[in-house]
Amino acid sequence: MNVAMCRLLGLLLLAGSCALGAGAAQAHPHVWITAISELIYAPDGSITGVRHAWTFDDMFSTYALQGIETKTKGVYSREELAPLAQTNVESLKEFAFFTFAKADGKKEKFQEPVDYFLEYKDAALTLHFTLPLKTPVKPKELALELFDPTYFVDFQLDDKNPIKLVGAPAACQLKIQRPNDGTASAQKLSEQNFLSGDNSNYGAMFANKITVDCP
Amino acid sequence: MRPTSGLAHALTIGVAAAVVVLALDSAVHVLMAQNPFGGPRPGADPQVGGIVGWLLSKQSEFYREMSSTIRAAKSDGSAVWTLLVISFAYGIFHAAGPGHGKAVISSYLVANQETARRGIVLSFASALMQSLVAVAIVGICALLLNATARTMCGAEKVIEIVSYALIAAFGARLVWTKGGGFIRALQAPQPLPSMALAAAAPHDHAGHGHDSHHHGHSHAHAHVAHHGHEHRHDDHGHDHAQAHVHDEHCGHSHGPVPTELAGPGGWRRGFGTIFAVGLRPCSGAILVLVFALAQGMFWAGIAATFVMGLGTAITVATIAVIAVSAKGLARRLSGASEGGGALIMRGLEFGAAGLVLLFGVGLLFGYIAAERVTCL
Repeated sequence: MNVAMCRLLGLLLLAGSCALGAGAAQAHPHVWITAISELIYAPDGSITGVRHAWTFDDMFSTYALQGIETKTKGVYSREELAPLAQTNVESLKEFAFFTFAKADGKKEKFQEPVDYFLEYKDAALTLHFTLPLKTPVKPKELALELFDPTYFVDFQLDDKNPIKLVGAPAACQLKIQRPNDGTASAQKLSEQNFLSGDNSNYGAMFANKITVDCP
Repeated sequence: MRPTSGLAHALTIGVAAAVVVLALDSAVHVLMAQNPFGGPRPGADPQVGGIVGWLLSKQSEFYREMSSTIRAAKSDGSAVWTLLVISFAYGIFHAAGPGHGKAVISSYLVANQETARRGIVLSFASALMQSLVAVAIVGICALLLNATARTMCGAEKVIEIVSYALIAAFGARLVWTKGGGFIRALQAPQPLPSMALAAAAPHDHAGHGHDSHHHGHSHAHAHVAHHGHEHRHDDHGHDHAQAHVHDEHCGHSHGPVPTELAGPGGWRRGFGTIFAVGLRPCSGAILVLVFALAQGMFWAGIAATFVMGLGTAITVATIAVIAVSAKGLARRLSGASEGGGALIMRGLEFGAAGLVLLFGVGLLFGYIAAERVTCL
């Protein structure tokens, strides 16, 4: 009986992996965001918040504009887009605004977003919003990550000037680490996810990492 | 039937389910953590990573080409063909990822001793339904009602929850039925060859009329000596559980609704799977449809959606056929060993049924990350 049970369990696992394993692919993003972000500093050199400008891809921009009434067809004013911007920031809350900050290794929390609005230009929507930190911090090292853990949204930092330090002390050094391209991330995927078995944070492989060192 | 056997049945199913859950826990935990359908195998060959990355980048590539192709198709008719080719390729690659009921369909097929042919039909039918649902959502919400993306996405979420609940309910029924077969296999004394032979003798089921009254007769006959013996009563409309194990009741156990779920011949059950799986549309298809609609190319979006569904169906059907074949192989392997064969096969079916339930529950309550609609 023991032998039979062992064999049974083995077969169950085999069946499971057959049912599942053949599709070893992962989700792929449905939304692409090109991000420009600013770190806002208080006069005393502490960081008070992050200001984002996220431009959505063509397809998602069109999708998001579905059903929005405008005076002139194809022209969307900031006022006309206000309800959508409201929806966006409310929805983004569930995902922690895809923005993860650590001050000297300690996780920082953000308040509700302020100064949010949408802009429609060149067939693309850009969402502007500011995330104030719960408490301003003055760390030696600030690490900011921008990514969707579920990888429904793909974040790319803008090619030119993706990050601005607004009012930062002159000595502060900015470092940007962009996610690897497809092949490199696949390599990382096999090493980190498959072997460690921890893939709950799958999207983290596509994270944009920003670090600011202020000595 | 012993008066307590109903309770005993339920209890044993519960215990057996717990055992299976524990056994699968480590594997499933890993799968559930990210997504249940594109599960990484522990200790997988590093090459898989390359394939995953490649699939992923291909999907994204095809998907991103769709919007520009739809735009191009506005002025250049031939771009529609390009769109269809891209959509087809996208469907094939995308279905290899999470969702699209691969795991549910495959597990259902394994649990129910279904044929590869039916697996193919189920795969195509559910993909067709997914396409129809996507077109219906966008057609009704966007085209007719001019609803906002938020409303549409809300509708998608509701449909998604219903679909997952149906999968869970479906899995629960399968577990109940298959648990019965598994327990009878466990309880069955190691069958003697004569008994197995007697069981394998032709039965005349014609007079039973099981379909006309839904008492839920589960035929338990041990075909130990005859693994691979197929009860193909398609034409008669009989629903005979393949879980044929002769216990002391000689097969008439009054389970809940076993005949409604088990065995070939039940296209109705198949429809249940198609419905549960096909109900949830693909977010990608919805985005493409809305985009096409905005470009005044709704028909091209619809065509792309169905071609996408065709590609999806091909991938899902391939995986379903692999699952069915793997079970056939398991049956042959276990058939080679004496006695335990029936138990193993019943256990396999039970395990597959448990997987369907786990997927449903995991999707429903866990909101498995990669499997949920994200409304921004």
